[in-house]
Amino acid sequence: MTPSQPGASTDRRTVLRLIGLGAAATMGGSTLAGCSKEVGSQGSATQADAIKAVLPTYKAADLLPPDIPGEGPIPSGYLKYPTELVDAVTEQPGRSGQQVRAISPWWGPTPPANDRNEYMQAINAKLGVEMVVSVQDGNTYADKLNAMLGARDVPDLLCVPNWEVDKIARFSDATKALFEDLTDYLQGDKAAAYPYLAALPTGSWEYCVWGGRLYAAPFPTDGPFAWTLFHRKDLIDKAGYGTPTTIEELYEFGKKATNANQGVWAFGTVFDMVQQFYGCNQTWRKKADGGLEHKYETAEFTAALEFTARLFAEGMVHPDTVASKGADEKQLFSAGKILMYQDGMGAWQGMQGEQAKVTPGFNMQPLPFFGVNGKDAIVWGSEKPVFYTFVKKDLGKERVEELLRVMNWCAAPFGSREFELREYGVEGKHFTRAADHSPIPTDQFRKEFAGQVNSLGGRPPIKIRSGDTPNYAQEYIDFHKKFIGLREPELFAGIKLELPANWSKVLQPTDDKIRDILRGRRPLTDMDQVTKEFLSTGGEEGRAFHEKALSDNGR
Amino acid sequence: MSTQISPAGPVPAGPHPTPRLRRRNPQRPAWEEPPSFLGQLGKGTALTLLVLAVLFPMWSVVVTSLASRETINDTGGMVVVPREIDLSAYFSIFSGGTITQAVWISTLVTVAGTTVSLALTVLAAYGLSRPGSVAHRGLLFLFLGTFLIFPGLVPSYLVVTGLGLKDSLWSLILPSAISVFNLVVIRAFFMNVPGELLDSARIDGAGEFRILWTIMLPLSRAVIAVVGLFYAVGYWNAYFNSVLFIDDNSKFPIQRVLQSYILAGQSPNVSGSSISLPGVTAYPPTLAVKMAVVVVTVLPAVIAYPFVQRHFTKGVITGAVKG
Repeated sequence: MTPSQPGASTDRRTVLRLIGLGAAATMGGSTLAGCSKEVGSQGSATQADAIKAVLPTYKAADLLPPDIPGEGPIPSGYLKYPTELVDAVTEQPGRSGQQVRAISPWWGPTPPANDRNEYMQAINAKLGVEMVVSVQDGNTYADKLNAMLGARDVPDLLCVPNWEVDKIARFSDATKALFEDLTDYLQGDKAAAYPYLAALPTGSWEYCVWGGRLYAAPFPTDGPFAWTLFHRKDLIDKAGYGTPTTIEELYEFGKKATNANQGVWAFGTVFDMVQQFYGCNQTWRKKADGGLEHKYETAEFTAALEFTARLFAEGMVHPDTVASKGADEKQLFSAGKILMYQDGMGAWQGMQGEQAKVTPGFNMQPLPFFGVNGKDAIVWGSEKPVFYTFVKKDLGKERVEELLRVMNWCAAPFGSREFELREYGVEGKHFTRAADHSPIPTDQFRKEFAGQVNSLGGRPPIKIRSGDTPNYAQEYIDFHKKFIGLREPELFAGIKLELPANWSKVLQPTDDKIRDILRGRRPLTDMDQVTKEFLSTGGEEGRAFHEKALSDNGR
Repeated sequence: MSTQISPAGPVPAGPHPTPRLRRRNPQRPAWEEPPSFLGQLGKGTALTLLVLAVLFPMWSVVVTSLASRETINDTGGMVVVPREIDLSAYFSIFSGGTITQAVWISTLVTVAGTTVSLALTVLAAYGLSRPGSVAHRGLLFLFLGTFLIFPGLVPSYLVVTGLGLKDSLWSLILPSAISVFNLVVIRAFFMNVPGELLDSARIDGAGEFRILWTIMLPLSRAVIAVVGLFYAVGYWNAYFNSVLFIDDNSKFPIQRVLQSYILAGQSPNVSGSSISLPGVTAYPPTLAVKMAVVVVTVLPAVIAYPFVQRHFTKGVITGAVKG
């Protein structure tokens, strides 16, 4: 792919294409989320070398040396909350007096607006500029995004989750037409002007390049694993079932732990975890001849499918999970109605802290990975940043620098006053201090905080020990260190993929068919047919696209 | 006409075969007969089941909103059997200000929107119901055309932002101010008003506005009440326009806030993996709080309904049944 020249792309054709990008949206709101990809899009891939050339130079900004240093994508851990905080930013970032408008996603209750929100007032006082953050519901973000991009109406700072970017066809056209090219501000050593942006891991910056230019700041992930199988250690230990360490023991556990009469089932959703136990790759794996093989074509996937279908058939899965996609498994798990379910690592700390107050002894733990048939498990994951923050185009150099200073402030690391304000609010209002000096959030914090500025500048990923979950940070990092070696190699690391439309379109229908097989609505033997349909309606196109991306990069 | 047609259809001449069903008068249709015991029992059961199917979820929502955290934890989800009345969920949602503000915004939009919508719809319907009015056929087709052609998300967005309505409450009212369905219903009602009435008013010197105000509207109270209810419920329940046009969190209507409460803490469903997501609140509201918000959202419609109900049957069948 030839990197397009920035600035040369706001012609009429781009505008029309962009509107075309919204045209898929004319079908109406609810159908948007999954299908905004334009029909006929062939996808594109930016080469790894072009990306390396524009990245900011990494410079760590540990204001405070960590107690458990992170390795690679594993976050660093802090076991003590510091008693002395430092000022990370000495000069006020905001100088123009002009309001900064931002849009950011959030998966929680709507917070009060600035005039009744002391958390935002405190932040704005520090920034020296009024941040007006529109907190948008993360679940309908795609609808909002389609309308905004189609109408070319974006705020000063726009935070976009990575999976929404993946859904939008020719997103690189949108970046060129609507967002500021940040390469000249952040490339190489220029990033030193924004030290906390320069401290974000290089692996996550790699994903912020479109068409060979840097267009966004990343919010690096602090959980490089895709899924975790959580289990209720307190209940399992009490009943003496023992923690399963092999696939057979997992099955036996399911038999013993399910007691429908008492309303207890062993499992919620577990299929993605079972696939990992069986050594299945997340999507592709390289064959000996250099070609790619999709997981549906492998024996590992078939075995995982058979095993999980058996759990369903023998009634070990909670009826809510069997019945619907949207079963509230968190609630079932908290209440002890299911003893194991898969979720993102992000669910751990919040649930543990909240439930420990209601259920004394509540203890949720990730089940250690184990392999099957003498093979190691394969752990899925990625270093892809969770969010990207874009700056609106054509605001002028001074304004862009001001916005970058604001983002730099929002990225201030642990140990600074800025970090404490951003993450916990104001002492006495939004948090009180535990004996170990760590903040305990108040009700006011829960009402006013909606991650308004947290995702705008990223932060070096860390884990901090907190009063209500004293063991969490250590356990989290230990778990990751133990299994990071099993993580599947990222075949496409550093290559920016914009996937072909047919490929993106075939994923969900295939998932749905597999759901039916798992639940016994279709026989297991149907999987061959499902695979065939998958390959013929987009799978093969996807394979050719991915193989080409690899060979173009000499991999 | 030589053959007598009864409402039940033509009656054959000659001797009747003995009817199998007990009927007092074979010339009368079945629904004019007193129902049999079994029939009544069947209908009663079916209706009771239907009512229960509607009431049971509502009951469960109300009871859960009043349940304590321990009760919810014990049942593992929605509560059916009340154990106590715990109002803490309601105190919690009304103390933050967000819900109160959103209820206020939704009330404002509903009242202003319903007024604007009714005024526009009645005026348009009256004009379109008079055969002599200017270009009324063409205009009617334009209106009906919107049934077939949806303007589309991006064009709507461009129009609303182009008019400077973004972040204004008018953006929640104007784009949906006229519902063509309601327009057609009112127009059909107006057309059924005898022309002689209007002619006599004209002879007495009444202008069009006066005719509309003093003759049409009083005669159409039922249909206007029902259409008003449709509009009001529509505005109260409207959600998607606010996603598109309202960025200012202090102007979110209640449905938007409700959604943020109900889905709080759920990780987004991303194909193939779950995200360890910092944006997901670590402190999702309890189920009781979520259900309390549902109750607050549903309550106004439940309260308003009985007042309009007496007009409902008459208003709704207008335009559906003629003659």
